[in-house]
Amino acid sequence: MQAVLLPVHQELYALPVRWVREVLTAPQITPLPTAPPEFLGLFNLRGEIVPLFDTAALLGIGTIDAVAFTVVLLGPQGPAGLATTALPHRAVLDAPTGRSEHHGTAGTFRIGDRVAVLIEPSALLAPDRRLSAGSA
Amino acid sequence: MAGLDLAHVRALFAQEAAVRLARLGNQLLLLEQASGDRELVDSIFRELHTLKGSSAVAGFEDVSRIAHDLEELVDAVRGSEGAVTAEVIDRLLTGVDELNAAIVAGVGPLMPGPDAEPDVMPAQRVESPPSPDPVPPPRTESDGNGVVMVPMERLDELVRLVGESASAHLRVGRMLQERFRIDPASCAEYIKLSRSLNDLQDRTMRTRMVPVATMTDQMHRAARDVARARNKDIRWEVRGADTELDRGVLHRLSEAMLHLVRNAVDHGIECAAEREASGKPRQGLIRLHAMQLGSEVVIAISDDGAGIDTERVREQAARQGVDVEHMTEEDLCGLIFRSRLSTAALVTDISGRGVGLDVVRTTVEAASGRVEVRSERGVGTEFRIIVPITLAVLRCLLVDAGGQRFAIPFHRVITSRRYDAEAVTRAEGRPVVWVDQRPVRVSRLADTLAMSSEEACDGPVVVLGDTADSHAFQVDRLVGRRDVVLKGLGPPAPHLPVVAGAGVEPDGSILTVLDPPGLIRRAQRAARTDAPPAPAGRHSVRRHQVMVVDDALTVRELQRSILERAGYEVRVAGDGAQALSSLLQQPCDLVLTDVEMPNMDGFALTEAIRATPALANVPVLMLTSRAGDSDRQRGLDAGADGYILKSGFDEGSLLAAVNRLLGSTP
Repeated sequence: MQAVLLPVHQELYALPVRWVREVLTAPQITPLPTAPPEFLGLFNLRGEIVPLFDTAALLGIGTIDAVAFTVVLLGPQGPAGLATTALPHRAVLDAPTGRSEHHGTAGTFRIGDRVAVLIEPSALLAPDRRLSAGSA
Repeated sequence: MAGLDLAHVRALFAQEAAVRLARLGNQLLLLEQASGDRELVDSIFRELHTLKGSSAVAGFEDVSRIAHDLEELVDAVRGSEGAVTAEVIDRLLTGVDELNAAIVAGVGPLMPGPDAEPDVMPAQRVESPPSPDPVPPPRTESDGNGVVMVPMERLDELVRLVGESASAHLRVGRMLQERFRIDPASCAEYIKLSRSLNDLQDRTMRTRMVPVATMTDQMHRAARDVARARNKDIRWEVRGADTELDRGVLHRLSEAMLHLVRNAVDHGIECAAEREASGKPRQGLIRLHAMQLGSEVVIAISDDGAGIDTERVREQAARQGVDVEHMTEEDLCGLIFRSRLSTAALVTDISGRGVGLDVVRTTVEAASGRVEVRSERGVGTEFRIIVPITLAVLRCLLVDAGGQRFAIPFHRVITSRRYDAEAVTRAEGRPVVWVDQRPVRVSRLADTLAMSSEEACDGPVVVLGDTADSHAFQVDRLVGRRDVVLKGLGPPAPHLPVVAGAGVEPDGSILTVLDPPGLIRRAQRAARTDAPPAPAGRHSVRRHQVMVVDDALTVRELQRSILERAGYEVRVAGDGAQALSSLLQQPCDLVLTDVEMPNMDGFALTEAIRATPALANVPVLMLTSRAGDSDRQRGLDAGADGYILKSGFDEGSLLAAVNRLLGSTP
């Protein structure tokens, strides 16, 4: 499977390439007041307002304090950005090496000596899976 | 039919039928008020005759048969000398409904309909004088009169692209200045482009506009049907039907306007005998008056009926614990929009939905508008809906707070003023300022947005209001006014009650547009708990929990699914006893209960909740098929906070009622 690997701190996450629209350097982010922790804010993608998510917070592995790159994916509800801490790159995923536990992921894969966890964006970004600041 | 298959013919027929049925409905309502108009009768006959022929061609025999029966009826009217009776109009209007249903059953929802994407543009308005010529079946998107039906998404895309072009244009101006040392203001080509883009933006915005007339027939019909059902005699009058506003705004207001019209006929207009006894004409007047005032449109729905019984409102409000001692008549009228009062005391199912006026208020506020009421006992009542002409471009006040710039929709700004520390007093532990002789709480905007710094602030205050409350927010500074091309933030962005949307600034940055009602609710909730609002982000938030109690599995699961989709946590119980036992172990934020259940019914459950100190403040909403006044009163006496009839139950009314009682979305 063709995938884009997203470095998040010391870990690698893989996104099927069919989801990926483009990769950007760190965009200018406008934070939204009262937003939940996994939501970093909005950025302007050629006139289109796109939400940017903290990939680490979504996956429960801390937070990203400095966004290095943004992978723009085109989900069923519209475009969204996933923040990374280093340059994403393409890779071919072979057979899965095991299961993954976090919701929004779908198994682990071997990339050289490292492990990449496959992301399922529709589950990871589903509103009912994320914390809501609606009653904050 | 050579060259056209049946599916194509039927698609064409659907387009034709939509136009003809809208025209027929309009003509019948006009005929009721001008029953001697022979030309109108002839025109109705021709519409039916053509519809009969077209439907036969499209292979819809049942449609053709209904049209034929109606044609016979109208032919009989043509041959008689007398006036057209209300009974005949009843039969014809019902026939039009039957035709509509039969056509929808054959070809699906008709276009243009209230939810269909293409709009009837002004030149096609149904209130235009009836054309003596049959309308040829539209073969393209144009009806041959220079009118093209365009899906809304295309117009939205156009608005977005124009906004993007304007931003790019400003960036080019900055580049001219910085890189080439050319002042754009001295460059004739640049100025010409600026003008063209401004014109383009203006024209593009206009394409989204539709006249109020596109809604008036539906309201006329609603008024007429309620009047017939209640045996009342009314006259329907429309002024300013050509007033235009954004199609999206008008669409959002349609239910609220229909509710007010039905309400005016049902509760406003007295019966003919009563009117005569008080020296009024037998025929009551229902008037819709639309007008543009600046960047807002005012839609007034008035009646010359009995007016609001403010003494009754006072009694009901006092029973609900509202301090009514010093309230003026105007204040009392305003109370009818309060949720508990309107759901409890003034609930009505005349609209078939069992909702109160607070839902009207909620709907209007969702369209960034406000609703006001003026009433005089014995003279009549007027409801005024005031909305911005378009939600696509919003005039905003720009402010800085907590180191960030925000836009606040101007129609919510009551006033702004210098912050005078000496003029600030305190009440209930909170700072308060006087605005128009009323005390208004003050909060720092940055605090409310949970982005506070510890620095002291002496910036001005901006007083914001919605129809229920007002609140003053202290900001770092006022920046100015700006028309913002507003873009809503749907999923996957999170729903944030304090944020209405965002716009792209000329320099490409993003401007956050705040939602004043959401801000006010958040600030007041913080005031009530006497604690600063929950800090932004990086903390989990508990969702509201609703207990659904119903012995019918289908109803229970339907409610659960609606509430869970809306973001609530849901617990369920099969009867009152089970619910009470569960609540005693773990309370919830709201109980939604059926009335008729085994073991313990909804009344007994409500009484038990009220009698239990730990649960006494939990709001209870009853959902039942019992429509009788005595049942309703019994529920309210037991301590229920609201009452929804199953006959009028739908997702919107349920969520509106739940949101209302919980004071927020999940």
